[in-house]
Amino acid sequence: MLEIHWGLPVIIYLFLGGLGAGAGVVSASVFLRSHAGDASEGAFDIARWGALIAPIPVIVGVGALVFELGSFAVGDMFRWINLFLTINLSPMSIGSWLLALFVIVSLVYAYTFLGSNSRPGDEHHGLRKKMAWLMVPLGVGVALYTGILLGAMPSRPFWNSPILAMLFLISALSTGVASILLMRCIFGGSSSDAKGVEDSKYLLSSTDMLLISFEVLVVFLFIMYAHLTVGGVEHAIDVVLGGSLTSLFWLGFVVIGLIIPILIELKYVLPRLLKQEHYAMPHAMELAVCMLVIVGGFMLRYVVVIAGQVTGPIGI
Amino acid sequence: MKDPATQVSRRGLMKNLIASDRPKRYAMVIDTRRCIGCQACTVACKSEFSVPLGESRSWVESIEKGNFPDVGRNFLPRLCNQCEKPSCVSVCPTGATYKRDEDGVVAIDEEICIGCKYCMHACPYGMRYLHPNTGSVDKCDFCLHRVEQGVAPACVNTCQGYARIFGDINDPSSAVSKMLETNAVSVLRPAMGTEPMVFYIAADSSDERYAERTGVYVRVETNRRQQKRV
Amino acid sequence: MLNRRKFVKLSAATAAASVAMNGTLSQARELPVFGGKDYSPATGRERKAVPSACLNCVTRCPNIVYVEDGRIVKIEGQPNSIRSEGKMCAKGQGGVNHSNDPDRILYPMKRVGKRGEGQWKRISWDEALDEVAGRLKVLKDAGTPEKFMFHYGRMKSSISKMVKTNFLGAYGTKTIGNHTSICEGGKWTAQELTWGKHYDSWDFDNTRYVLNFGANPLEAGTNHIPTAHRLIRALTTREVKMVTVDVRLSNTAAKSQEWLPVRPGGDLALALAMCNVVMSEDLHKGHGEEFLKFCKVTDTAEDTLENKVKALKDNFEQYTPEWAEQHCDISAHAIRRVAREFATNHPACLVSYRGAVAHYNGNDTERALQTLAAITGNIDNPGGRCLAVGPKWKYPKVKKMPKGRKLKIVDGPKGAAAIPSHHMSHNVLKMIKDGSAGRPDIYMSYMYTAVYANGDVQENIDVLKDESLIPYSVNINPFYDESAALADLILPEPPYTERWDWEDMVSPVQIPEYYIRQPAIPPMGETRDFGTVACQLAERIGIDLGFKTKEEFVRLSCEKTPAIKAVGGFEYMKKHGVYHDPKAKPKYYSYRKELKPKDYEKATVILDEATGTYWDWKKAKHKSAEAAQKKGYTHSKGAYKAYVGQRIGNKVYKGFKPDKLNKSGYFEIYSGLMKDKGFNPMPTWYSIPEHDKMGDNDMIMTTYKVATQIHSRSQNCKYLTELYHDNPAWINPLDAERRGIIEGDEVKVKSEVGEITIKARITPAVKPGVIAISHHCGHWEYGRYASGNKAPMGHEDDPDLKRMWWKGNHGAHPNWIIPNAPDPINGQLRFMDTVVQVMKI
Ligand SMILES: Nc1nc2c(c(=O)[nH]1)N[C@H]1C(S)=C(S)[C@@H](COP(=O)(O)OP(=O)(O)OC[C@H]3O[C@@H](n4cnc5c(=O)[nH]c(N)nc54)[C@H](O)[C@@H]3O)O[C@H]1N2
Ligand SMILES: Nc1nc2c(c(=O)[nH]1)N[C@H]1C(S)=C(S)[C@@H](COP(=O)(O)OP(=O)(O)OC[C@H]3O[C@@H](n4cnc5c(=O)[nH]c(N)nc54)[C@H](O)[C@@H]3O)O[C@H]1N2
Ligand code: SF4
Ligand code: SF4
Ligand code: SF4
Ligand code: SF4
Ligand code: SF4
Ligand SMILES: [Mo]
Repeated sequence: MLEIHWGLPVIIYLFLGGLGAGAGVVSASVFLRSHAGDASEGAFDIARWGALIAPIPVIVGVGALVFELGSFAVGDMFRWINLFLTINLSPMSIGSWLLALFVIVSLVYAYTFLGSNSRPGDEHHGLRKKMAWLMVPLGVGVALYTGILLGAMPSRPFWNSPILAMLFLISALSTGVASILLMRCIFGGSSSDAKGVEDSKYLLSSTDMLLISFEVLVVFLFIMYAHLTVGGVEHAIDVVLGGSLTSLFWLGFVVIGLIIPILIELKYVLPRLLKQEHYAMPHAMELAVCMLVIVGGFMLRYVVVIAGQVTGPIGI
Repeated sequence: MKDPATQVSRRGLMKNLIASDRPKRYAMVIDTRRCIGCQACTVACKSEFSVPLGESRSWVESIEKGNFPDVGRNFLPRLCNQCEKPSCVSVCPTGATYKRDEDGVVAIDEEICIGCKYCMHACPYGMRYLHPNTGSVDKCDFCLHRVEQGVAPACVNTCQGYARIFGDINDPSSAVSKMLETNAVSVLRPAMGTEPMVFYIAADSSDERYAERTGVYVRVETNRRQQKRV
Repeated sequence: MLNRRKFVKLSAATAAASVAMNGTLSQARELPVFGGKDYSPATGRERKAVPSACLNCVTRCPNIVYVEDGRIVKIEGQPNSIRSEGKMCAKGQGGVNHSNDPDRILYPMKRVGKRGEGQWKRISWDEALDEVAGRLKVLKDAGTPEKFMFHYGRMKSSISKMVKTNFLGAYGTKTIGNHTSICEGGKWTAQELTWGKHYDSWDFDNTRYVLNFGANPLEAGTNHIPTAHRLIRALTTREVKMVTVDVRLSNTAAKSQEWLPVRPGGDLALALAMCNVVMSEDLHKGHGEEFLKFCKVTDTAEDTLENKVKALKDNFEQYTPEWAEQHCDISAHAIRRVAREFATNHPACLVSYRGAVAHYNGNDTERALQTLAAITGNIDNPGGRCLAVGPKWKYPKVKKMPKGRKLKIVDGPKGAAAIPSHHMSHNVLKMIKDGSAGRPDIYMSYMYTAVYANGDVQENIDVLKDESLIPYSVNINPFYDESAALADLILPEPPYTERWDWEDMVSPVQIPEYYIRQPAIPPMGETRDFGTVACQLAERIGIDLGFKTKEEFVRLSCEKTPAIKAVGGFEYMKKHGVYHDPKAKPKYYSYRKELKPKDYEKATVILDEATGTYWDWKKAKHKSAEAAQKKGYTHSKGAYKAYVGQRIGNKVYKGFKPDKLNKSGYFEIYSGLMKDKGFNPMPTWYSIPEHDKMGDNDMIMTTYKVATQIHSRSQNCKYLTELYHDNPAWINPLDAERRGIIEGDEVKVKSEVGEITIKARITPAVKPGVIAISHHCGHWEYGRYASGNKAPMGHEDDPDLKRMWWKGNHGAHPNWIIPNAPDPINGQLRFMDTVVQVMKI
């Protein structure tokens, strides 16, 4: 068994980075789609929560990442700056720049939502809109690049798949959505418009449901392609198909993070979708779904990061 | 960053990867038929660099294979392949790892390396480790500090089997060139596309899965902390 | 950073100052210089290079020790050595760790608690020397110097001459124990019985075929590096065939074209059967026949070739390959084939070591192998098994020595061994316990751990711990080994990298190489070379040795030795480390040298008619020629020292000069000495009594060495112990299955003297019925790297201590369950014989 060089800090970073980026992207796209927040207060509320959330996990994640640096471990606090003294084609180099930009943009974007009287069309509107336009590509970039980072190396057959980046992107969006829902669940919407709230909740849940469905599909592709390949990749995928990480992957990620949430969401989304009934997910259920999706997102990063390291090229 | 070589390697990353006009091209041929698994090279390397316990720049794998009484044991000395297309270099975000224009050796500037360990994952041969004192990644560098002074790498110097042959393949009269010319050689894990500059004669090609298929006993091990082949 | 520096262009031709290659590889012309220089990878500065010599194993290769900032940082081979050709094994390089071992002893330590309790106090050298010298003087003054027992292990060359010849000689004790009987003493006795000298040298550079009985020259061996790199060159560059007889697949067996997995101790049957094949198929004709002229094969001093051949045929007739198959588990077919190959590929080299001789029947195994080499004409010839050649140092000697006295405790109980020409050191403690031959008052041990290296560890501990059996015990050691832990006083010696010596190990190219050891750094702490300490003890007792330090002794030796003096003496040796005569020719066929009449027509030289030996009656300490004639050469004590030459036909040859036994100048296949002791004079089959009585479930335990460790002394070398710290027992899958043992299981191994628990390694690389355990692991002292236990005087100045990842995994020592039983002929400890039961826990 190979040794683990990237441990919890990296896993946390990949997870939080994805979640933050996801929340940011969802926020910005909801905001932009709802005619820059003019259309509905519910949408603005979603955008607001997303914007407030986005920078925090990314900053925390990057912080965690620094702990994983060898230079930091020997007490050299600032050698990481070398990352920003150069730019090259390394996914990590590109990723670092993306991250840095994302953090700046997301902070500015969040700033435009600060204050209890922030509302569509207030004095920050212009800035907010510009930032939102930036948030989408940057967020997608950050979410994607974590997958590219891992996927870029033939030496790690488990990771070495373009599908991984897709998987990470979708998982990032879905955890981003879940985090917004969760926040709104806990702190409540600031809107008095009940219909708007229901709509926006429905919007989020159905989006989430859609994302999870995509995720299931992508997971299926990931596994299938790996399994159908020969050599190192096939060997590596064994670790989740009948190896040390099998139960964590299937129970921790697929069942808890994907299947259960999607079943619950189906139960509440379908009536409205098919029969135009009221969308009324109970508060507790909502909480549960969000938590499950977030835990599932973490499990995905955990399993992938570990699985990639305990497997390697085969033969000599 | 006072270092022009590093500067070049950073800016000209892609150029370096395809450069073919190096003044020298250091390479090693390892004739496994001559290797007796004595580990002299391992200890030479370890002491040359005071490599911390638990880490290694070089090691020797042992491959024990067969069913009694038809059993064999072969040895596979390992070191950084100084790849022509080093994946460690292409993933390094800081340019700390670079391939030298002058001789093709893949080197690390420990003052620039931040210890992100990305290259450790990228190397398909597990040749890199994080040095606990410097916080930078370290690996075999063909003993540049000796070679630059005209002295053979520590492992080559001590190899009692004369299994490790080092030199410049740009020089057609060098021993490496001749070995390469006159022998069937292979490189490790060619599918990884790194184009190693360490060539093997008669390298064993078994892995543990082979045993499962054929019922023949195979044991591949190293004396490192990571006992398995990586 | 170094990688910043521009590459220094070197002219390929001038840099190739290497003597290292004489194979077909053209590597010598290659750009890099092979060795002699090293640079710091951190600063790029050249490291200080001190030509010196290794002492991690008995081979004592010349080396170069590199120093940086006052620390020993690297050891490499000496490129100018004709023996090692600049190569160096893992162990030799691991020697860097000795100097910087955090558990090293730096000051004289005196026991304060109970013996063995681990309570020590630091004392001054003056106190220590006064204490020891005081006690020594009491014994000497009382006329009982023999009550001072000195027990040594790896004490060779100058230190041996200083301590054993001079100091102990002048003091007057002959109660001197060594470690040879646990080493290869049995082989030496057998060689002394046949060709007189002990060490043999294998000429791999010129051989066409190698047949190896129980030696592991690619991993171990008393001339390891000098022979190993030549062997691999022969096997590959020249594609010489090698067949290895071993109970397990050693790396040597693995690199041989053929492995013959013999039953432990079955080597004798195999060797006898090969002699049978050679004789019955007349394969001796040619080279063998020629050599028989110099062999004694019958009772008669000078017999005809026909009679000799007949005697050989008669003796070996019974040992057919079919018969042998029953005893050694090698098929008759294979025996015939290999014997024929060996006999017909001249020159062929017959190799043997401890695997063949550390047995009940080891003596005749080695005699049979000597015979096999003899009857195929592969003795002392290019490409064969040669008489060892080493340098002849001259050294200062005390003029007047008292007649030494000794306690008869070093040869084991009466009758335990018939011809223990290298003693029975493994029974010394037993003898002390027994007490019937007296007990020493002072027991001093040097470079030797009686506790750990012998069999029956528990008994060794019990005796050494018992103050009523051993009243005073001094140990000289750089490290806190299991024996030091049981001493009353520890005198700290620096490791060999901080010492002086001249050295003299065997040369595989049959040209002597002179070399010295010199300190790369001054001795650390208050450590003192024991050679110097011996001088200081002598001075305090009132003995004048004529030299005061080891350095002085080495310098004087350089001045006394003509070859060295001629090239510049001590200064030359300090600068170059090694010297050999560039014009010297390899020494082969030394026995064929004809003596000039003036050599044997001296007044004091007489001919012993019974053997055809010329000898010097005066040197043999006889009163007159008549008295000498009457007693005869063979039965005069120490007559071998008076040997002059061997008459064969009408010529007198140098012959095979005896070393420790009164054999003739013939190569004695027929041994009168053996006959005198009641054994068959010709090589004969003896089965191993314990093996004959083995039950169905019993196994035979054998022990072996690995390439990365030396006995018990190298486990404090972190770079070596990192590579080898655990010694799982090799068990064949068949045996494992029968006992339900799987890989990694803890198993119990039980013999008549005890039991151990050890991890199992299930491998087809060991013969079924055999369990093979290396003897390097299982320390309970020797510092943290070796055992996990800190020496009481250990320090914390090694950052690697916290990175020691094998803590708690230190293996198991097999010697707890090996009885201290001897080969009944030569007294060799039977390390490869032990009958054990193996069970899953
Ligand atoms: N690496 C290393 N080298 C050393 C030493 C060391 O400790 N480590 N010590 C040095 C010393 S002092 C000595 S004496 C020499 C010893 O050198 P060797 O005698 O060559 O080494 P050993 O390992 O003692 O035994 C040799 C082989 O005998 C095999 N053997 C065991 N039982 C039998 C048997 O019944 N029949 C046959 N045919 N083979 C058997 C073992 O498997 C082993 O491979 O090595 C010297 N060199
Ligand atoms: N089971 C089993 N046992 C064996 C063998 C085997 O094959 N199997 N092999 C046997 C053989 S061949 C031999 S030769 C013996 C060797 O047995 P020993 O002679 O006892 O072993 P060494 O490893 O030479 O080291 C003895 C002690 O010397 C001390 N020492 C190390 N360096 C120095 C130094 O520079 N100065 C001083 N004063 N002391 C030092 C160390 O503390 C060490 O404990 O072991 C034998 N024991
Ligand atoms: S650990 Fe150092 S050398 Fe490796 S990729 Fe990171 S910065 Fe580059
Ligand atoms: S072997 Fe690994 S570390 Fe060395 S150059 Fe190739 S990819 Fe880089
Ligand atoms: S070339 Fe130098 S760094 Fe590389 S394995 Fe050999 S000794 Fe070690
Ligand atoms: S030193 Fe040479 S023979 Fe020994 S293990 Fe290394 S490569 Fe093999
Ligand atoms: S063979 Fe023995 S003496 Fe020579 S380098 Fe190795 S340990 Fe030292
Ligand atoms: Mo020995």
